Amino acid sequence: MMPRQLAPWVLAAAAAALTGCGGGGTTVTDTGGASTPPAGGVGTFPSGNWTWELPTGFPVPKVPDGNPMSTAKVDLGRFLFYDKRLSGNGTQSCASCHHQDKAFTDGRPVAIGSTGDMHPRAAQPLMNVAYNATLTWVNPSLVTLEKQMEVPLFGDNPVEMGVNDSNKADVLQRITSDPLHPAKFTAAFPGLAEPVGWGQVIQAISAFQRALISGNSKYDQYTQGKATLTPAETRGLALFMGEKAECFHCHGSFNFNDHVVHAASRVVETPFHNTGLYNIGGTGNFPEGNQGLFEFTAKATDRGLFRAASLRNIELTAPYMHDGSIATLEEVLDFYASGGRHITAGPRAGDGRKHPNKSDLITLIDLNAQEKADIVAFLKTLTDHEFVTNPKFANPFPAQ
Amino acid sequence: MNTRTFASFTLAAVAAASLVACGGGDDGPQAVEIQFAAMAGNTAIGCGSTVTGLGSTAATGNVKDFRFYISQVKMIRDDGVEVPLTLTANDNWNYTVGSDSVTLVDLENATGDCPAATGTTGTNAVVKGTVPAGTYTGVKMTMGVPFAFNHTDWANPTTTKAPLDIQAMAWNWQGGRKFAKIEVTNPAWTSPTFNFHLGSTGCIGNPATGTQVSSCTAPNRMEFKLAGFNPATQKVAVDIKPLLDGTNVTINQAAATGCMSGGTDPECLNVFKALAIDWKADGTGTGLPIYGGAAQTLFRAIAK
Repeated sequence: MMPRQLAPWVLAAAAAALTGCGGGGTTVTDTGGASTPPAGGVGTFPSGNWTWELPTGFPVPKVPDGNPMSTAKVDLGRFLFYDKRLSGNGTQSCASCHHQDKAFTDGRPVAIGSTGDMHPRAAQPLMNVAYNATLTWVNPSLVTLEKQMEVPLFGDNPVEMGVNDSNKADVLQRITSDPLHPAKFTAAFPGLAEPVGWGQVIQAISAFQRALISGNSKYDQYTQGKATLTPAETRGLALFMGEKAECFHCHGSFNFNDHVVHAASRVVETPFHNTGLYNIGGTGNFPEGNQGLFEFTAKATDRGLFRAASLRNIELTAPYMHDGSIATLEEVLDFYASGGRHITAGPRAGDGRKHPNKSDLITLIDLNAQEKADIVAFLKTLTDHEFVTNPKFANPFPAQ
Repeated sequence: MNTRTFASFTLAAVAAASLVACGGGDDGPQAVEIQFAAMAGNTAIGCGSTVTGLGSTAATGNVKDFRFYISQVKMIRDDGVEVPLTLTANDNWNYTVGSDSVTLVDLENATGDCPAATGTTGTNAVVKGTVPAGTYTGVKMTMGVPFAFNHTDWANPTTTKAPLDIQAMAWNWQGGRKFAKIEVTNPAWTSPTFNFHLGSTGCIGNPATGTQVSSCTAPNRMEFKLAGFNPATQKVAVDIKPLLDGTNVTINQAAATGCMSGGTDPECLNVFKALAIDWKADGTGTGLPIYGGAAQTLFRAIAK
């Protein structure tokens, strides 16, 4: 599987000096594809100015034709990602809800926007998002980072960054007034007469996000023969990949999820799943505002379906599930072992185990305490400590 | 039913008797200006208006927004042929590429209860263009954004031009745009704002190609025809009362507040009836106009 179909990419050096990614990986230079961008691009771009350093087993990411990678663009994107001036009231940056030390989640059950709005769902981790076929907990209409970013920047229900028609020019002006930024925009978008604009802000942050590759966990090192798993981790791995726990069905790719797109993808599946988290009053209802795929398709059979999350760095992204309603990995294992969640009291009472849309892969699996602990031990081998401390992805602004 | 018989009108500045050939000869294209007016029954409304008698409870509320996209305008010639209106040059309100065109009709001005943050002070109440000289008796149009324009990245200045760059009309829920945004509010209501947002739903992207949206199960573009319409003496009323007829606007039974085109949102039942778009409570509505929107009640011709 995963044939490396590299054109228009160039395999510059296989398995060479890869100090940054634990070795054994692949280096691929982005030639930019074309010297002039196809329809959909903004201006002209440098080419041949980006090198992917990919861990073993990672395919070459798909990059939109109109937004080729470049070092200058990733650099600009990093500054913008951490810049609070990018929100309407100047209080939040992207990083406010995406903390590097938590694999770019925020530790909250659900995120809170710049004006205090509660998001219905939890902030997503941002590692390996270049490979995500869809980008949020469920929205099937958002398939590029560029389009997805319009949601946090400009969304009004809920308000996240709070940029709107009345302040969008001022917010850009704030960005331009920074002595560092104009030169960075010019470097990132050298062909443009007017290099500062919302399209460029979005393209630069998207490029930075695509650069957030995480593939140097203990498990990755183990697969390369560079680390040894403990007996508990080894047992957990066997359970994870086996037919008893069935975890791998939805979390089985190199990225431990099942929505994957890459440069050579021809057909991409975008499955969504109901794991039996709710079944309010036995009606199949999920909490209002969190009905999953149903909210897009209006099909009763889509109620409660969400995208399987990548399990990379899962140790760092608690609490879990789309609404943060499970606090710990141990409780997540209890939930899956029970074949769903039975809520016995309160407004959300109902037996999720009996949800009519529940995936047939979620069944009562009788995991004992030892087996659950083993799986948790394995899941913790998916933590990439280098990724969450890598200075290339850290806040570039001096501490205040 | 509500056939309004108006004398057919002649657009040609010169004598128009011999114009069967659609603008042949010396008769150049003729200008058409179609005016729109926000109404509550027979009363003109706008930001700052308090409207009484709304919905099933005859509620009183203030206008909070009143904008919509009009596309694919066709003038109906006296021989029944539908002749596309060529919009005026692309500007802040009008955009044409090939056979697709769209105009933002913006009847809010960010005052009163129309929020300054999301509203715009500029307004546009007219669709302007030209048709070949001829005798025209009616008009047909669509409230909606053509598919070719609907799902573009709105922040990308190369692909997205005015009037598709208004953030408030972006609809990232479905990767597209709101075709209409009409809202009324009253802080005393149990659910203080009734939102009517029209747009395509069930939209699916294609990650393999990076295509934003390749299809939507419910397009929800509203078509309508005013069989007797003379733009010289008449304008198009957009009437909030029939839009909300039968709906309790003071509460929200389920799903989004008001009707945001949700396929099973109970507040959409009567709203979509007014639009004459196929909508069913079990989510199986096709989102297509019923009989070309013949029974719609939102738009009608009134005297200027």
